[in-house]
Amino acid sequence: MVEELLFFMEVLVGGLLAGTMYSLVALGFVLIFKASATFNFSQGAMVFFSVLAFVGFMQDFNIPFVLAFILAALLMVVVGLCTERFVLRPLMNASEDTVLMATIGLGYVLEGLAQAAWGVEVRRLDLGIGDFPVPWIADNLKLFISALDITAGLVAAIMIIGLFLLFKYTKIGLGLRAVADDAGAASSIGIPLKHIMLLVWSAAGVVALVAGCMWGARAGVQFALVDLALKALPVLIIGGFSSIPGAIIGGLIIGAVEKVLEVYIGPFFGGAIEGWAPYVLAIFFLLYRPEGLFGEKIIRRV
Amino acid sequence: MSTSTNILDIKNIEVTYDNVILALHDVSLKVPKGKVVALLGANGAGKSTTLKAVSTMLASERGKVTKGTIEYDGTSIEKQNPSQMVGLGMVQVLEGRRCFGHLTVEENIIAGAYSRKLSKGDINQELEKIYTYFIRLKERRKSQAAFTSGGEQQMIAVARAMMAKPKMLLLDEPTMGLAPQLVAEIFNIVKELNQKEGVSILLAEQNTNVALKNSDYGYIIETGRVMLDGTAQSLLSNDQVKELYLGISKKGRKNFRDVLKEESLTKKKIN
Repeated sequence: MVEELLFFMEVLVGGLLAGTMYSLVALGFVLIFKASATFNFSQGAMVFFSVLAFVGFMQDFNIPFVLAFILAALLMVVVGLCTERFVLRPLMNASEDTVLMATIGLGYVLEGLAQAAWGVEVRRLDLGIGDFPVPWIADNLKLFISALDITAGLVAAIMIIGLFLLFKYTKIGLGLRAVADDAGAASSIGIPLKHIMLLVWSAAGVVALVAGCMWGARAGVQFALVDLALKALPVLIIGGFSSIPGAIIGGLIIGAVEKVLEVYIGPFFGGAIEGWAPYVLAIFFLLYRPEGLFGEKIIRRV
Repeated sequence: MSTSTNILDIKNIEVTYDNVILALHDVSLKVPKGKVVALLGANGAGKSTTLKAVSTMLASERGKVTKGTIEYDGTSIEKQNPSQMVGLGMVQVLEGRRCFGHLTVEENIIAGAYSRKLSKGDINQELEKIYTYFIRLKERRKSQAAFTSGGEQQMIAVARAMMAKPKMLLLDEPTMGLAPQLVAEIFNIVKELNQKEGVSILLAEQNTNVALKNSDYGYIIETGRVMLDGTAQSLLSNDQVKELYLGISKKGRKNFRDVLKEESLTKKKIN
């Protein structure tokens, strides 16, 4: 009985920590959704692009780890700058659907650029953190938990705290929330939409880089990262598209649910249900709580 | 009126939306420094379009000034964008209040100071000053703006605009959908801001009577043209204005039923 419980705990904790990896990807989506009410389909491509550039800087140019990371982050700021200038500004008054389509196009451009610059083969990313159980936890708690998962959890925690402070207490954060509520009114009182968009896309780019590092260290830096990022969709539906805590909690729920279901219910379906179980959960949320757990309720005075 | 005393000078502007829809044909108007000017007219007459042309918010609605000039504080506004206009001291309060619903009342007001470089202390000082005009908002400053009443939301919108320290305010239908008591309260505040802070005001209104009583000068526009203008006093006593906009004829108040009755009488006579 004790052993069964321990096994369950292990599956659960493993799932929760794997979930933080989803949360990291989802964070990037939330940032952009907050400011421009658009689901950014190119987020997956941004993850791929940023981490491939990071690995490329290290392996092809022998740039040290930290410097390569900073360079990759700067590159994402440049990507944000170009996106604002060449995609968002010309589409300033276009409908949200048009911007959505533009992000799909942007995704292809980034995927193509990344592969043109750095090649198509799978690359290894070594963060110096092993993807194997931490001995101390295994000995004392009898749980097998990967060091990489724990790191991802910590990184996610730091990022959410940082973003929360940024939104709540800084001037630019206030501007961003104002734009998220009513871009027209924000511009009427002199909040420059240009700067806000630039900030949001750059921040989303850096978040993509961090998420890409975590995923790349686990699964290798490869094209599959693009599709993996779409796992963020059920995360966002559950957590709410416009909520940063929602992205985190949603990720945890998806991670835990898919692992637990895989282990306990999977065998009845012949396994491999973690691929689609999150989407089933997402459908239930869409039916009964479309704004997600933490999404901003649509407030309407009557 | 010499040009130097006018903070705003609009000369013969024509505005089109989407390059085809002609919204303003020929509008000219002047706002003298420190005065309140009312822009009156029915729905779709071109009041909002005129204000948006001045604040350069037209571009975001695919509108364009195709003829004429707009001069604000001695310079042409042709090449400006909305945030630059705010920097120059011109702020528009959009129609329908447009508060940031998920932000608190106080956050809404502070957001108005975005274009200014102020320290935390300066902002608090400015806030206190603003609250002296909007006492009601101080009580509600921690509530989410979306849950405040329509009148309070209008006050938030004006207070937010005042935080940018404007020389000129453009108010688009500030009393829309408000109870008469609140209409009076809003206009009192607007008057007070005009007198104590020296803000020049151009306001678009459908509520002709109240607007003229609180203004120095008025323009009446219809289908994108200025039909009539004059001092508020002269407009209030103008027979045409009385008949068409205030619902008062020479014989006294007249309502829709009377008009129908008259019409049917004249028809009978013809028959």
